Amino acid sequence: MTTILCATRGGEASVRTQMRAIEMAKEQKANLVFLYIADVKFLDRMSGSIVVDVAAELENMGEFLLLMAQERAEKAGVQAETLVKRGEFRQALLEAAQETGASTIVLGSPGEGGSITKREYLEELAASLAEETGIQTIIV
Amino acid sequence: MTFRRFGQILFAGFLLFCAATLLPGGAPAVSGQETGTSLELSGFLVDAQGQAIAGAEVLVYLDDAEEAAAHTESREDGSWVVRLPDSPASSVRVEIERAHFEPYHYELSPDELLQLITDGVFSLRQITLENHIGLGFWVAGLTFVIVLLLIAFEKLKNTLAALLGISVVFISTFIGGAITPDLYIFDFERALTYINWEVIFLVMGMMIVVGIIEGTGIFQWLAFMAYRASRGRISLLIVVLIVITSVASALLDNVTTMLLMAPISIQIALALNISPLALLVPEILASNVSGISTLIGTPTNILIGAYADISFNDFLIFQTPGVLAAMVVMTLYVLFHYRHEISKHPGGISPTLYAKLQENARIKDPRALQRALVVFSGMLIFFAIGESLHLVPAVTALVGATILLLWVEPDIEKMLMAVDWMTLVFFMALFMLVGAVQEVGILGLFAGAMGQLIGESIVLGIIVMVIGVGLLSFGIANVPLAAAMLPVVRFLSSGIPGAESKVLYYALSMGAAMGGNGFLIGGETNLMTSGIAERAGVPITFMGFMKIGVPVTLLTLATGALWLWLRFVVMGA
Repeated sequence: MTTILCATRGGEASVRTQMRAIEMAKEQKANLVFLYIADVKFLDRMSGSIVVDVAAELENMGEFLLLMAQERAEKAGVQAETLVKRGEFRQALLEAAQETGASTIVLGSPGEGGSITKREYLEELAASLAEETGIQTIIV
Repeated sequence: MTFRRFGQILFAGFLLFCAATLLPGGAPAVSGQETGTSLELSGFLVDAQGQAIAGAEVLVYLDDAEEAAAHTESREDGSWVVRLPDSPASSVRVEIERAHFEPYHYELSPDELLQLITDGVFSLRQITLENHIGLGFWVAGLTFVIVLLLIAFEKLKNTLAALLGISVVFISTFIGGAITPDLYIFDFERALTYINWEVIFLVMGMMIVVGIIEGTGIFQWLAFMAYRASRGRISLLIVVLIVITSVASALLDNVTTMLLMAPISIQIALALNISPLALLVPEILASNVSGISTLIGTPTNILIGAYADISFNDFLIFQTPGVLAAMVVMTLYVLFHYRHEISKHPGGISPTLYAKLQENARIKDPRALQRALVVFSGMLIFFAIGESLHLVPAVTALVGATILLLWVEPDIEKMLMAVDWMTLVFFMALFMLVGAVQEVGILGLFAGAMGQLIGESIVLGIIVMVIGVGLLSFGIANVPLAAAMLPVVRFLSSGIPGAESKVLYYALSMGAAMGGNGFLIGGETNLMTSGIAERAGVPITFMGFMKIGVPVTLLTLATGALWLWLRFVVMGA
């Protein structure tokens, strides 16, 4: 049985990505794993040091967001698993793909406005992942 | 004794030593020469803006001699006294030299000489030294502007930019000064006098306290309680979250507060099926505004308080009511801005999601929280009564931090990390850099120009300071801005009737903090919250933030200015 890995967050654009992954899992009768990556690279912009564990707070938030995604899948009749990883986005995604044995990765295209993740970056990432691991990456 | 416990005691001992050094000591030694006759010549040095000049060399020549008979240096208050070694027969000539000022020569008239000999003392009274604009002036000025730009455009971290700036100043002084004296700005000893150690130690003590309290999970728990208590009434939830953020920011660090409040607020918003921005943006705005309601709420207030000798209670009496008024105005505008979100019918969540939310908002360390609250309450009492005990806030913060370290027994390595050494170094470098700009006379000239613009109108002074600094804060980091403006405000406060009440310092505090709400790039609180929102897939856009940030900034600045006018001009200080 194949596995679809869907890297997701929590906004409206993410719901669209999650629904597409759920549909794919249903069609292909594949395992579905929702992934949240607690990437704290934005803290580099902070002038001083951080006194609290921001990554842990993001992981907690990620678990909550993935539970919401899991419930959506359940409503659509698909059993989904969740995975939270800490670290730089590309590296964590690669590790998660290897851990879950994913055959397909689903990524959401950046939403309107202020998203720091650009579509060009995701396309580049998809191409390099395919080259490196042979895993197909779909950008929704 | 374990290594960990030993480390805790060592660190606590260090903090207590720091506190002890801040306690008032004996009377400072008086500089100057005190030998020879009982004849004394004295005076008082000021610059063109009437500010005292310290460190000027005063040389006294007797009877056309080529070598000075006596010399001294002017003190911090600009005063100088020289005791003459011999009685002059025919003439006394005074020469005064100070880097960045034109040399001053004066010869006593026969009448003045007679008065000196008969009375034994003679005062030249106030002497105004003219500024000398040399290469050092331009080097210091350009360096300061470049540092501000490097910070504003995030080309370098604050600390590195400030260190680079002060390095340029020292290179100009020591290497450039050896080539041409015109490049001399100030020496290291003089630079150190500009560092305000009270600020450094207060910030350090509060960092430890913040690290312990905020790590307990109290604010996440309070946010969850607000969610439960609001029972789906979104407007009530927004108001309660604003109150929680405001209280936390008024007493602790703004950025840390938001780093903890943002993730749980996003989860609450998603649970209610509303846009997380309807909770996050009001929290950012509240954090920036309310931080200035107390002395310890923001680094700018700590800076202003130490510089202008404004106590914890002074801030509570003269600033907090104005900030509260601004918060009310801000809240009303926020509720209006998010009226569509507020009118939404809130969704419910499954028991699983509710349980997860509850778990994420739990108190992580109840024992530490209990102890931290006891110590922090004691600290607040001592901040309030400290003035009557001659206890500076830095000592209270250091002693409080020490007690917390010994009683709560946190991981010492974690606590060492909680002390943001980079920020402390930034403060030290910044103080010296601002000192360099002050030393060469740039701030004096700027203050003079502002003095001419404002004239003797206290109302205009308040408006210029609140609105002008507020608008500058849209793009300039508020700590360097406030640090640079302090000498300017001191000059204005001594020249404008009614400004001796320190009203312009409060105006500076309001302008610097409230202006940070204008743009998303206006402050670290905004940027860090935006980073968390991005990670939840709900990015805060520059334009989206500006649409609410600019009106809120203008409204809060106007409310703040109105309060200061009412409190200081109408009611009298």
